[in-house]
Amino acid sequence: MKKILTLLVSVFCTLSVFGQSKMDYTRVNTVTQVGDTLVVKYQYFKGTDADGNDMPDAKLYQFDIQYNNKLLNPVLYEWQPVAGSEQKAINSWTGYKFTIDDTKEQTDFDGQYLSWLSGDASYGSNSDWSVDRVTWQNTTSLENGNEILKVSYKIKDKANSNYTDYTNLINVNWANYKEEDGTQIDVTGQSTLSLSNIQGGDAGDVSISVSSNVITNNIGDGSDFSYTIFAKGDNETPLASGNFDAAGDATIQGLENDVEYDLYVSIDSSKEYLDNAVTVSDLALVFTEAIGAGSSPNGISTTFDYYLQSILANVVGETIPNGGDINFDDSYEILAYLQGVTSTNTTFISKKDEVYNISGIKSTFGDEGNGIATVSATFKPTDSDKSFQFAHAISGDVNFSHGFEPTSTNADIPTSAQSSMASSMRVSMAIGEKYNGEQANLDLTSELKDGQVIFTIGSEVEEMIGAQFNIVYDRTRLVLDDVIFDTGNTMTNFSNHLEEDGKINIGSFDQNFEATVKTGTPYKLIFTPTVQLQNTSGLITFRVNEGVKADGTQIKFIME
Amino acid sequence: MKKVLVLLSLVLLMGCVKDEILSPIDNTIEVPESLVIGDLQGIKVESTIVTDEVKMNIKLPYTGTYRVKIRDIGKELISQEKLQANEGDNILKVYVSSLSNDGYTLELTDDNHDIIGITSIVVNN
Repeated sequence: MKKILTLLVSVFCTLSVFGQSKMDYTRVNTVTQVGDTLVVKYQYFKGTDADGNDMPDAKLYQFDIQYNNKLLNPVLYEWQPVAGSEQKAINSWTGYKFTIDDTKEQTDFDGQYLSWLSGDASYGSNSDWSVDRVTWQNTTSLENGNEILKVSYKIKDKANSNYTDYTNLINVNWANYKEEDGTQIDVTGQSTLSLSNIQGGDAGDVSISVSSNVITNNIGDGSDFSYTIFAKGDNETPLASGNFDAAGDATIQGLENDVEYDLYVSIDSSKEYLDNAVTVSDLALVFTEAIGAGSSPNGISTTFDYYLQSILANVVGETIPNGGDINFDDSYEILAYLQGVTSTNTTFISKKDEVYNISGIKSTFGDEGNGIATVSATFKPTDSDKSFQFAHAISGDVNFSHGFEPTSTNADIPTSAQSSMASSMRVSMAIGEKYNGEQANLDLTSELKDGQVIFTIGSEVEEMIGAQFNIVYDRTRLVLDDVIFDTGNTMTNFSNHLEEDGKINIGSFDQNFEATVKTGTPYKLIFTPTVQLQNTSGLITFRVNEGVKADGTQIKFIME
Repeated sequence: MKKVLVLLSLVLLMGCVKDEILSPIDNTIEVPESLVIGDLQGIKVESTIVTDEVKMNIKLPYTGTYRVKIRDIGKELISQEKLQANEGDNILKVYVSSLSNDGYTLELTDDNHDIIGITSIVVNN
């Protein structure tokens, strides 16, 4: 019996639902972006009784609409012409939201109307919602499917609200349809109007960061880096720019969701440490490539470990984006730079006051594309992604001492494409950790002897085919008299004296990768004091002290 | 007469030698109050904030070869002097013109790098 009753109730309810009139509200157009105009039509559908006959006609059509005023801004109300003699009104209130009578379905619009009259449903204060009351009445009834009203709403940016999506924008709270004699007509409809995949709008705070060994190895810090943002594909009109903080982070405002931008990272070219970026270790890598790879740096026989190195090493000749063949022109330009020889060529060797920046999305930094390295400047803030990591490197710094060593597997040159001259040690090392180098002890001291200041570099390090020391001296108290090399008979020694800066870079390099720097005291600098000195503490400082092995492995000197 | 001259010469020579032996030998040096080190050994600078140069005292347990090291914030050695110095106080200088404005530590070690004393300076050129 219970089952029969349940079945009867279900059938009754089904018939009842199918028979009710409808207050239909649907969107007319397609909207995809913040700022688009959403047009919603409010439409009458006549119900039918259990026998399929039309329900009685109404003469009054009244309903309350509530819309989320944080997400929608009504800009146009358009009555839809029907008979021409109707009376109509729209009343509006801002700051109210309907609380339904939860003993009834939300979509039981006539029921909610009666509950509102009785106080079982009510309007409470809520600044996010506004209410429009639509009243239409006439001596003639609406036909099935007649539109009553069209409302155009501008879609607002949810970034300025507490809402994360557009899933609940408009509700009809109740409907009051009445026959001419005042009989209430059953009305139903959908519970809400929602939108999905609305793009654009203020992206709010977008976080960016930059990675470089300048930061990781405390050579400088993140505040040495700046960013410039352009619309994707443009590189002339910056949309935003600024500096990273000391940790290499920055927060950007004013960007839009779902819009692509290009971001370029630059390093402060005034930094002194940039003079230490391109060293004998880079020279060794480029020389090895020139010898071992011939004309196919990215092809079948490279000695490099990352595709990006063929761009960083391409310091002369073809433009950087093309990668280009790494040949002896490149290695000799670096050697000339280390020796202080001014080149007549246009070179891309980064140094103080002259930096060639390369930056891109960190996760794909240096990824291979059509045989050469690529970097992507493009990022797109979305609702779910507002944080972007960038990496930075500089041209000429082939061993990433002042740049970011790629970590993407697609940036790594497969062993099968590497020549036999490639470093077997680095080949076996993990991506992103191939250029950490080795360490060795060294003794660098200054001494006052017989009225002269003697700076000696004592080394017991073997297997070095090159070495470099960038030394700064107090030029207000010292004059450089002599540089004495005792590195071996076949080594090519170099010294680049920048007298006006009180700097001297000295070193050695065997272009045949055979001879090694002699142990003992391979380098000695002799200075004459220009003032009376009792001792030499602080007069001579050293920042870059490194050696290089035949396979290009950097040796970082550790001094006790 | 010849004997008298020889005698006089001898007396003169003896007088010279005698004077030298009897002269007081002064190994002490005047240590400014700001550089006085109470312990038997150590290193002290006249001022922590340094422009161009600053006096320092290295007080040593014995005469010999020592090292004065300058390390940066990451403890990396960036300058090192090797010097012969006497037991006790030695008033010397640290020159900072070629150092960038930053904080540094001064380390006094013996020739085998065993630390005798440490102090810090801030360069403000």
